[in-house]
Amino acid sequence: MIRLTIDDQQISVPEGTLVADAAAKLGIEIPVYCYHQALGPLGACRICLVQVEKMPKLVTACTTAVQEGMVVHTRGALVDKGRQGVLEFLLINHPLDCPVCDKGGECFLQDYAFSYGASAGRYDEPKIHKLKDAPINEFIILDQERCVLCQRCVRFMGEYVGEEQLMLEGRGVQTVVATVDHQPVVSPFAGNVIDLCPVGALLSRPYRYKARPWNLERVESVCPHCPVGCTTLATGRDGHVVRVEGRPEADRHWGWLCDRGRFGYDFAYLPDRLLAATVEGEERSAAEAQRTVGGWIAQAVASHGPESVAILVGGQHTVQEANQIARFAREVIGTERVAMVRSTRGYLPSALNGTFEDIERADTVVYLGGDPYESVPVVHLKLRDRYRQFPDLKVIGIGSWVLTRSTLPGQDVVVEPGQEVAVLAAALKIAAGEQEAVKVLTANLGDWRPSLTGVDPAAVEDRLRELGQSLLGSEHLVLLWDGKDAEMESVLHAIKTVREERSAVLPMFGPANWRGFEQAGIDPHFDRLDSVLDDCIAGRVTTLLVFGGDLLREYPDRRRAEEALAAVERVVQEGCFAPEGQEHYHAIVPGAGWGEVVGSYVNLEGRPQTAGAPATPPGQARPVRTYLLAWAHALKKNLVFEDEGRLPGMAAAARAAVAPVTRPGDLARGDDELVMVGNTEVMEGGLPSEYLASRVAEYPGRVSPQDALRLEIGQQGGRLVVEGSDDTIMVNAAPDPRVPGGRMVLPYGIQESPLNRIGEGATVKVYRREEVGAR
Amino acid sequence: MSQARRYLLRNQDIPDIDRIEVYEANQGYQALRQAFNQYEPAALVEMVKASGLRGRGGAGFPTGVKWSFLPDDGRPRYLVVNSDEAEPGTFKDRELIEHNPHQLIEGMIISSYATRAREAYIYCRGEFRRGAEQLRRAVAEAYRHGYLGENILDSGFSLDIKIYRGAGAYICGEESALLESLEGERGNPRLKPPFPAVAGLYGMPTVVNNVETICNLPPLVLNGAEWYRTMGTEKSPGLKIMSVSGPVNRPGNYEIPLATRLRVLIDEYAGGMRDQRGIKAVIPGGSSVPVLTADQLDTPLDYESVLAAGSMLGSGGCIVIDERTCMVGVAARLLKFYREESCGKCTPCREGTYWMTDVLNRIEAGEGKPGDLELIADMADNIGGKVFCPLGDAALGVVVSAMKHFADEFEAHIKEHACPMGARLYYDTVNH
Ligand SMILES: Cc1cc2nc3c(=O)[nH]c(=O)nc-3n(C[C@H](O)[C@H](O)[C@H](O)COP(=O)(O)O)c2cc1C
Ligand code: SF4
Ligand code: SF4
Ligand code: SF4
Ligand code: FES
Repeated sequence: MIRLTIDDQQISVPEGTLVADAAAKLGIEIPVYCYHQALGPLGACRICLVQVEKMPKLVTACTTAVQEGMVVHTRGALVDKGRQGVLEFLLINHPLDCPVCDKGGECFLQDYAFSYGASAGRYDEPKIHKLKDAPINEFIILDQERCVLCQRCVRFMGEYVGEEQLMLEGRGVQTVVATVDHQPVVSPFAGNVIDLCPVGALLSRPYRYKARPWNLERVESVCPHCPVGCTTLATGRDGHVVRVEGRPEADRHWGWLCDRGRFGYDFAYLPDRLLAATVEGEERSAAEAQRTVGGWIAQAVASHGPESVAILVGGQHTVQEANQIARFAREVIGTERVAMVRSTRGYLPSALNGTFEDIERADTVVYLGGDPYESVPVVHLKLRDRYRQFPDLKVIGIGSWVLTRSTLPGQDVVVEPGQEVAVLAAALKIAAGEQEAVKVLTANLGDWRPSLTGVDPAAVEDRLRELGQSLLGSEHLVLLWDGKDAEMESVLHAIKTVREERSAVLPMFGPANWRGFEQAGIDPHFDRLDSVLDDCIAGRVTTLLVFGGDLLREYPDRRRAEEALAAVERVVQEGCFAPEGQEHYHAIVPGAGWGEVVGSYVNLEGRPQTAGAPATPPGQARPVRTYLLAWAHALKKNLVFEDEGRLPGMAAAARAAVAPVTRPGDLARGDDELVMVGNTEVMEGGLPSEYLASRVAEYPGRVSPQDALRLEIGQQGGRLVVEGSDDTIMVNAAPDPRVPGGRMVLPYGIQESPLNRIGEGATVKVYRREEVGAR
Repeated sequence: MSQARRYLLRNQDIPDIDRIEVYEANQGYQALRQAFNQYEPAALVEMVKASGLRGRGGAGFPTGVKWSFLPDDGRPRYLVVNSDEAEPGTFKDRELIEHNPHQLIEGMIISSYATRAREAYIYCRGEFRRGAEQLRRAVAEAYRHGYLGENILDSGFSLDIKIYRGAGAYICGEESALLESLEGERGNPRLKPPFPAVAGLYGMPTVVNNVETICNLPPLVLNGAEWYRTMGTEKSPGLKIMSVSGPVNRPGNYEIPLATRLRVLIDEYAGGMRDQRGIKAVIPGGSSVPVLTADQLDTPLDYESVLAAGSMLGSGGCIVIDERTCMVGVAARLLKFYREESCGKCTPCREGTYWMTDVLNRIEAGEGKPGDLELIADMADNIGGKVFCPLGDAALGVVVSAMKHFADEFEAHIKEHACPMGARLYYDTVNH
């Protein structure tokens, strides 16, 4: 530890600490523009000048490392003059835009000019003129005149994210921030530059001119779009969320968001948001629908018993809401037929679940089935952060297409669709076949050997051994699991059992708050959902209440879901949007959504986080509790909900043991056939957003370049007919060199191309649709 | 005139020395053989230390000491020769590469051998087309004659030289910006430490030396460290090339023993002033250093004496200013260069040089206002010592010293709303 004195206060900090950070620890403010802890020192803006005794000149606090016995003064005549000079220089070419600037009131140039600047300006030469409305992309606008050239945005994109899409152009006083090759920035992390920009140069286009800082309410919230649960600040105005910003948390989060989370808040006021109820196809007031549905439930319980009512929970509900629903089911109705709406079959026991701290310490990271960049984007940034600290980080992708990418280079083991589990088991068998857990795991595997894309059959054994050794021999292993294959749970158990060092799994699958629903008492196991649907099909359920989730859209087998709905006398949906297949629903009631109720979300670490409510439910939308209380009343039951802030304390599901995995059958697909592979992508499916419309892939399906050639869809992509055994869908697909031949990767939840009509893993015939047309 | 024998500028005596045969016939590549035969790399570094050779790129840092900073950790090392020479007033490296490229190449091989670099780069100023062509041709010749490539002259030492052309930015002469540019990045200076010797090109230990510095190696090896110390002073030994410009009779490059007096350089080497004009001021070390006045012409041209006189020897660009020249014009014109060349990374240099140039231009154009001189002085105080790299400080050298020594000229411009010398520089800003 190094001891030093800053403004007469003593402090000890680790060697290598910068004076700016040491001062911050003491609560002493040193102004900074270009310095950001995540990006490291740059020394460009010079606003952080301080005086260090025995040094001949002022030094920049952000580039100066502490030294034993150092005496630092952060104020005083010399420092103040230096800072004042820098501020004056920054202002000479700065436009007088503050009254019309979106950042007015939240701007570090204003703040520092107020605290450290001179009162009168001395500059009366002409100002430099630059571009005022330069679009960076469809979300971000750049005012070059307001830019103080701190380079935070440029360095964030290039050095931190590794997607060099912003640059400095020109030199001297003509220097401007520009996009590379003047092409729009396409990174899904670009929105962070709005938060990073210390002034009003980079602005959110959707938020532009929407509000002034003084008529806003900025509340702490959590992003509901994926299980990362990034911490946010949501700005409300007139009952709407009009802006989402990242919310840094000390020692945990830099406050990064992906653009899904940053701009995807407009679902709340889209035209198709449910504002009123529908009963038997007729629009009704929410109050009336409430009464009608209450009557239905009471009747069902009275005539068929409590178990004739089943309840499904999904969507963006908070833990508290899920718990209210669970209690309603058990205490008011008395049914155990409660399940979660899921689109993947896997379950992760809490005992295996890791946290972001595991990423901060990882030496090996393995993607199981999906690419975190697409499924849980900010996890990719956390991995990138780790990689910047620890360049030896080993990244391995195991999936049916190449999962690693250049920003986080690694190796891939590309397997036949659906064989991830078997390949991992085979690898464990080769590396540690003598271990009891591995013996059990691979009991049915026999001498099965996979075929791996790009690996000579003779080399497969070695490749698997290497993989097995990475899984077992690494010092700190983090596995990111797509949750597709339920048998993976056994593999994960086996890995944990055999390993000596720590391993941790982070689930990449949804619903975003599934862990929270579990804590609230909703069983997340897919079997559970299946058994409820069985009960529906078998006529044991007469009334089905669906909260939040969209069963037909999300459940992996659409026909079966339709069959279940069709078999039930009365299906009631609560949510923000009408579900797919409205004809199956007898009543649809408008629910309050994210940002409209206070509550908690539990993220993929199992960490509960609270989200405030800057907005109010639109139209007749009601929080779940309103419906539940009304229906309890209809059943003449008394239901009391505690404080909304309190979390239910439910026991986690019991731990399963290692079970043998299934030996894959022989591959049977014709030369002109493809196998369907599902993928969770935050930009696809999920809550609708007009702001993000341009980011929803025009060609969401991906095939190998060779298959694209054969299918004649060209480089751009084209419209394909995908013919399954008993259904056909249209898919806009494009070539992707990451995808090997013989398969098509398609995101879940695309309304126009519902994978669940065909089924994951199905072998399909694909041909080009003659008339060309994008969806 | 005391012109003894020339070493670095032998091209002025030997025609066609840029051709390898001529170079070889005049002791060319003899120093290289001698270095391989007589010295282990470490001993060569010691010899250079003993000679007291100092970097000729401007800062005058002892070359042998710089070489000994390279960490011995098995990582690849690079030698980078700085041939970006863009300092107004300095044009020595240009002559060295255009007229005697083999001398530089031989010096680079010796330096690489001493520092155990296996790859060397020449960063050549973009505008030096002929220089780059000459270097390219000479490097190819050197490969053909076995001076470059694998196992040079059976020494077991191998070296490749690559030539990289800049794109016309003065800042790329600053060593860390040069390295950025060489790596294909925007030419902005890097944060130091780490210094290039520890983390330079691609993060590897790197020696950056000026062309002239490296050209000293062949004569130094042939004649030894003691010989070098027979010239100059204890702290500034040896030879220096001075580029003399301005209204002298023979502007050009002159090789002088250090500590030669400024007056001797101007009168004897450069043939005195044209038309017997009087000298008003001299910028002795390139546009980045303060001016000396006519009463300082007896200053010996060595690093310490010039510093004591209030300026710097810098890169040896000696700009002679006659009494007819308007010092406001000189200051405005040179500052404009820095404004144009400021890389834009740090606030005080980027904005300060812009503002200050505008004000100086106004004064020069007769539109000065009371308070302008105080404003400039205050701006200079807000720039000086507060910038990221030496360019920002360099921008102030001439302006501040001219305002100090020729205050009356500046004041007259403001009072009379015109240039008392009748000169008129065009008045512009970036906006016009
Ligand atoms: C703005 C600026 C421009 C420079 N230009 C040059 C140059 O053109 N050539 C050069 O050799 N050194 C130049 N230097 C000095 C280099 O940074 C570096 O000190 C030098 O190349 C080291 O070589 P030396 O030790 O042989 O002098 C410049 C420095 C600054 C700050
Ligand atoms: S746009 Fe903002 S973040 Fe980017 S360099 Fe300018 S001031 Fe900094
Ligand atoms: S990573 Fe997930 S939680 Fe974070 S901002 Fe993106 S969508 Fe929201
Ligand atoms: S002083 Fe600053 S702006 Fe000027 S050249 Fe150096 S880094 Fe660039
Ligand atoms: S914050 Fe220190 S130089 Fe910018």
